Amino acid sequence: MTTFAERPTIAAPRQGVHKTSRGSQFVKTITSTDHKRIGYLYLATSFAWFLIGGLLALLLRIELTRPGMQFWSNEQYNQLFTMHGTIMLLMFATPLFVGFANVIMPLQIGAADVAFPRLNMLSYWLYAFGSIEATIGFLTPGGAASFGWTAYAPLANSTYSPGIGGDLWVMGLAISGLGTILGGVNFITTIFTMRAPGMTMFRMSIFSWNVLLTSILVLLAFPPLAAALLGLESDRLFGTHIFDPANGGAMLWQHLFWFFGHPEVYILALPFFGIATEILPVFSRKPIFGYKGLIAATIAISALSVAVWAHHMFASGKVLLPFFSFMTFLIGVPTGVKFFNWIGTMWRGHVTFETPMLWVMGFLVTFLFGGLTGIILASPPLDFAVSASYFVVAHFHYVLFGTVVFAMFAGFYFWWPKFTGRMLNERLGKIHFWTLFFGFHTTFLIQHWLGIKGFPRRYADYLATDGFTGMNMISTVGSFLLALSMIPFFVNVWITRKSPKVEVDDPWGYGASLEWATSCPPPRHNFTSMPRIRSERPAFDLHHPHIKTEGH
Amino acid sequence: MKANWKLFTGLSIFYILMAVVYYFVGGEAVGITGMILASCLAGMVGFYLWFTQKRIGFDIPSDNLEAEIADDAGELGFYSPHSWWPLPVALSATAMGLGLIIGWWLTLISLGALVISIIGMVTEYEKPVSISSH
Repeated sequence: MTTFAERPTIAAPRQGVHKTSRGSQFVKTITSTDHKRIGYLYLATSFAWFLIGGLLALLLRIELTRPGMQFWSNEQYNQLFTMHGTIMLLMFATPLFVGFANVIMPLQIGAADVAFPRLNMLSYWLYAFGSIEATIGFLTPGGAASFGWTAYAPLANSTYSPGIGGDLWVMGLAISGLGTILGGVNFITTIFTMRAPGMTMFRMSIFSWNVLLTSILVLLAFPPLAAALLGLESDRLFGTHIFDPANGGAMLWQHLFWFFGHPEVYILALPFFGIATEILPVFSRKPIFGYKGLIAATIAISALSVAVWAHHMFASGKVLLPFFSFMTFLIGVPTGVKFFNWIGTMWRGHVTFETPMLWVMGFLVTFLFGGLTGIILASPPLDFAVSASYFVVAHFHYVLFGTVVFAMFAGFYFWWPKFTGRMLNERLGKIHFWTLFFGFHTTFLIQHWLGIKGFPRRYADYLATDGFTGMNMISTVGSFLLALSMIPFFVNVWITRKSPKVEVDDPWGYGASLEWATSCPPPRHNFTSMPRIRSERPAFDLHHPHIKTEGH
Repeated sequence: MKANWKLFTGLSIFYILMAVVYYFVGGEAVGITGMILASCLAGMVGFYLWFTQKRIGFDIPSDNLEAEIADDAGELGFYSPHSWWPLPVALSATAMGLGLIIGWWLTLISLGALVISIIGMVTEYEKPVSISSH
């Protein structure tokens, strides 16, 4: 067998006895430069923020259950939805991408670590401290930021939103955004310079390709956000007039914010498309259908995503409707190509429904709904009718929850043996999936009709005579079901913590990319030996040498 | 590795094309500026990658379709086993931002701390040549 070649040891293991006390584990974690450990930190921290953001969502839903103000003042309600949006987008979903990319991407390209291990840890700390700073406003007398996660001018200036909460929000996001930019630089460098011999660009897994293009979008999108935030803070603190409506500052903010905001949507979507694309072939027992087509679609999405930002501003009446409407329809095409390829992968395959596959099915269904309402919203006349209503809320929850949360759990169940060396329980995973699936659709499907009937987003209250009560009650019940669905997951993690170790490299049996060619969990520098790479499925070629993969 | 610089250069060309189209259909200044800057960023990275490839040649093992794993044998480079420095760098950067809000004294103190910790992080593995093992 000449399939293996010894990988050289990079650093000798640290001398001395292995210390396992809690204190030394803690020190080891906070000083770590290991991409996997930093990745787990990212995953755990962003999941904690997911729970906090979810809690805020429940606090919003209990207020909306019935007409009248039961729990919060208007100002408190504004703080809750502002922080819910900020936390879910910038403290949960974005770092979740960094977490998955950190753990999985170096394994998939056959690298020993990321290119800049200490910079990786610096990114994590900037994210952790920035997020805490942005949220700590809840503990100040004036409360947290309350101008919506979009912070439109002039609402976000010091006249209309006084108080330290808004300042903390702005500076916290600037710091955490810096961490995201450094993370993007790290991933691009890693993919370009640290691929294993034979791992050419067009043999890389789709997930790694999507990490690359997401990182490029991070570099394009986050600097405008930093510029806009620092300008806003300068207005708030020093009385400058950058976003003064008298000088057209209101539109300047919207343009800058959405020039960040739309690529941000793809920063959240692409890596999770990547996770789905990793899982589908494994449980369809087939190679990916249209590997290069998928890459081309991802490149097209990254290219087009900088030219669609103003579709968030149709109702402002100050943007070029035909241009942005056309570009928005155009970006639907590569997304459709992806759907075509995902279905093509399953087509006539031996599809089995283990938990990760089930979550991917949930992702496909939910994201498809979000994509279809997206086509409706891309058309200005239809957008005017439902703009800033619950129809839009339902749309972006289908898009973002559909991709991020469903694909996140798909990734957790799929790579849990790779993370921990232990499988999660299938039965509990299925209970988890179905509870969450019905909880989610009960919460948000009804909101489409709520929006069409005219309930505006961000309103804390409505009248009994509006006829919104019944639909709001259904939505609230659904949201609690959704929250309860976390319980089977935690039980699952808890009861499997001591289950038997996975002894093989690839517990699913048909793993394709290189992370399935090393142990579960992988050693410090990832590989003790590596198979020869001749296709985009090196681990599959290794474990099933009698089946020849078509080389690319 | 032609794919690398072609990817970035292609994005750069596409963005400038979009900026021109947007200008001619009557786009506003912010978007045009944004797309031109996006194009410059992608173009800069693309140029750097093209330039570097020209310098080091195109035959590195990770781009060789027929490469063996052993082709890359030898020392991969130095990897920091663990490091304390990222923590103080991030902490002082955050404190500096916080100082803008709660008082200049904190900004000044944390600016000093930031400079010290950046120097610490950058020079962590700088050692006199005589005792360097790597």
